[in-house]
Amino acid sequence: MLSRQSIKSSMRILLTALLLAVLAITAGAAAPTREVILATTTSTADTGLLDALIPVFEKKTGYIVKTIAVGTGQALALGGRGEADVLLTHAPSSELPLVSSGDVIERRLVMHNDFIIAGPAGDPAKVRGLKLAADALSRIESSQSVFVSRGDDSGTHKKEKEIWGKLGVKPSGKWYVEAGAGMAHTLNIASEKEGYTLTDRGTYLALKKNLALDVLVEGDAILLNIYHVMQVNPAKFSKVNGPGGLAFVEFMVSPEVQKIISTFGVDKYGDPLFFPDAGKNVDDLGK
Amino acid sequence: MDLIAEGIAQAFWLLMKGDRGVFQIALLTLKVSGLATLISLAIGVPLGTALALGRFRGRDAVASIVNTGMGLPPVVVGLWVSIVLWRYGPLGSLRLMYTPTAMVIAQTLIALPIITGLTMSGIGQLDPGIRVQILSLGATRWQLIWLLVREARLAILAAVMAGFGRVIAEVGASMMVGGNVVGQTRVLTTATSMEVGRGNFGTAIALSLILMGLTLAITSWLTHLQQKGRPTAQ
Amino acid sequence: MISLKDVQLRRAGRLVLDIADLSVGRGESVAVIGPNGAGKSTLLQVMACLLPPDSGSLTVLGERIERGADLIGIRRRTAMVLQRACLLNTSVYENVALGLRIRRTPDAAIRDRVINALSMFRVDHLARRPARALSGGESQRVSLARAFALEPDILFLDEPFNALDLATRTALLSEVGEAVRSFGATTIFVTHDVTEIPFLSDRTIVMDGGRIVADGSIRRVLADDTRSALSELLRSASWLCGKDGDDDSEDGTSFPLADSKG
Repeated sequence: MLSRQSIKSSMRILLTALLLAVLAITAGAAAPTREVILATTTSTADTGLLDALIPVFEKKTGYIVKTIAVGTGQALALGGRGEADVLLTHAPSSELPLVSSGDVIERRLVMHNDFIIAGPAGDPAKVRGLKLAADALSRIESSQSVFVSRGDDSGTHKKEKEIWGKLGVKPSGKWYVEAGAGMAHTLNIASEKEGYTLTDRGTYLALKKNLALDVLVEGDAILLNIYHVMQVNPAKFSKVNGPGGLAFVEFMVSPEVQKIISTFGVDKYGDPLFFPDAGKNVDDLGK
Repeated sequence: MDLIAEGIAQAFWLLMKGDRGVFQIALLTLKVSGLATLISLAIGVPLGTALALGRFRGRDAVASIVNTGMGLPPVVVGLWVSIVLWRYGPLGSLRLMYTPTAMVIAQTLIALPIITGLTMSGIGQLDPGIRVQILSLGATRWQLIWLLVREARLAILAAVMAGFGRVIAEVGASMMVGGNVVGQTRVLTTATSMEVGRGNFGTAIALSLILMGLTLAITSWLTHLQQKGRPTAQ
Repeated sequence: MISLKDVQLRRAGRLVLDIADLSVGRGESVAVIGPNGAGKSTLLQVMACLLPPDSGSLTVLGERIERGADLIGIRRRTAMVLQRACLLNTSVYENVALGLRIRRTPDAAIRDRVINALSMFRVDHLARRPARALSGGESQRVSLARAFALEPDILFLDEPFNALDLATRTALLSEVGEAVRSFGATTIFVTHDVTEIPFLSDRTIVMDGGRIVADGSIRRVLADDTRSALSELLRSASWLCGKDGDDDSEDGTSFPLADSKG
């Protein structure tokens, strides 16, 4: 047991186990040209739309998609560094700089869903039915009613800041709660605190039965959540999978997929979660 | 409370119907964390022993680094590994980003200081007279290390359990370098985190129960090994 | 068997060992005595090839100990017993067998040697016990068994009776003395208790400050005792020596055996 032989054989067993385990882990890596890295947002992934679309894309084209669902900021940053092949995001104002810097090309409008302002049935700030989101936030602020913000620089948060910006208001105070969390968390907090929040309709619908919140304000053009798909520029980033990225862009705006998008969620929630917009002019939306 | 009941029910349902998705996630969890622990063990035990026994300049500095490494936040490890493995990073040509291999690398970096540090302290706590005695019996360097490791086996098994427990439970590094890609790099922790984010608390609880069940099973086995080595009066 | 010439060892700049010339022949049993810090244990470790000297020449079992020497080979022909038993966390049997396993002795031979050694020190009934559960005296017996199981050419004893109670010490002194005599191994026995010496050795080396200050038969060394190092030791032991008269000498430095035989 102390002989050189037995120590050596124990080492040998350990090494063999290691080698087998390493092989088990690394087996099955796809060729680089078959992989497409799609960077998108957690809220997009959470809707489940991609779970429906990605398998269709993979079957049709033979590409293997790695869907990386992170915060909007991170998704766009990955694109800006050439660390992803294609992006699917919904923060147009943050996407445009990437277009002008040439980091992304083939940016196409895909679909939209919308945001709503949800709040307690009692509605202390009296915002129910208001046409303009800005008016609603204004009333919430002046009445110092609890408002729960994403606070995480996500697309939703950016939209919220956009509306506050229109009012020229920087919200702060005990009534303004910054969750620093995902949409589901934020909704739960709003529900617990009987406060207001800005949310995408999809997440709201998915969690509605566990929340004590009603839809209070909807339909304002500013509340539109607009999705674009864009290819990370292979000319600028040679390591990017150009053909794969382009294939995904064209896939998302194809009539077949647009149809899938238009009916997604109906069976579960009664209403579709998204509205397909490929080919339209972005300024025409919401009118 | 009903959430927990719902979670338990869902866990059973998933296990009963042999849900392939869950099975795949659980299997990958074991493979990744198991391999990371194994590698950390293979490197960490000899390294910890060398640090405990060695008398070289800079030993204290290395020991401090190891002890600091025990408290590395996983998300920080994930970030640093990402920077190295990204396409345009120094090791980008290896194309390891968003693969289980990257997760193993990150988890090894988390477990290694733990196993090294606890081995170092376990061996360091041995009676120094034992080392003199073993050397005086004419042991070679390898025989000495083997005997000391065997003598400190309780502490070393504890080190392995600590390392394994840490990595099977971490989500920050796995999320960053793995990406939680379904069917490829999704493990129990990242899946649970995702389900919580989506508000599917029942599913999240179910997944966490499966994770804890796995951890309990493996830790029980290791504990059994450890307690077998304890001296008992006969 | 062992010879040292101009051997020096320094620790933190201080000279802790300074041996001009020392030789121990085959079969000799030598005691090394001196106050704490005299360098006795250091000398032992150097002779056992566990501690390399800074300078000088050391020859053990006919081999010159220098860079490239087969230290492991030499160590496997010697055995050491320390003040504390330092047993491993396993059974008594396995502890005694340890040295033999290290030398890759075949299992059958191990069995015989271990059983013999265990009975030599009257601990055969403890063979299956976990070594950690033993008392101090029992542990030390196991440690001695471990050393004797190896049938070493040189036996090093570093104050092995120091931590034992008087009854165990007395019993073991005669047992070990008996074993040393019957084995005929060259023995180096470090102690700070003069009264232990006669059980194991005759030749006595007195150390002080890293140097050898006296070397000879115990009676001559004690009689010739103008060295203050030994006086200290004798003063503390003198109450034990008083049975042959002269027990009321004023400075307590006279030793009865020295007086009686001259």
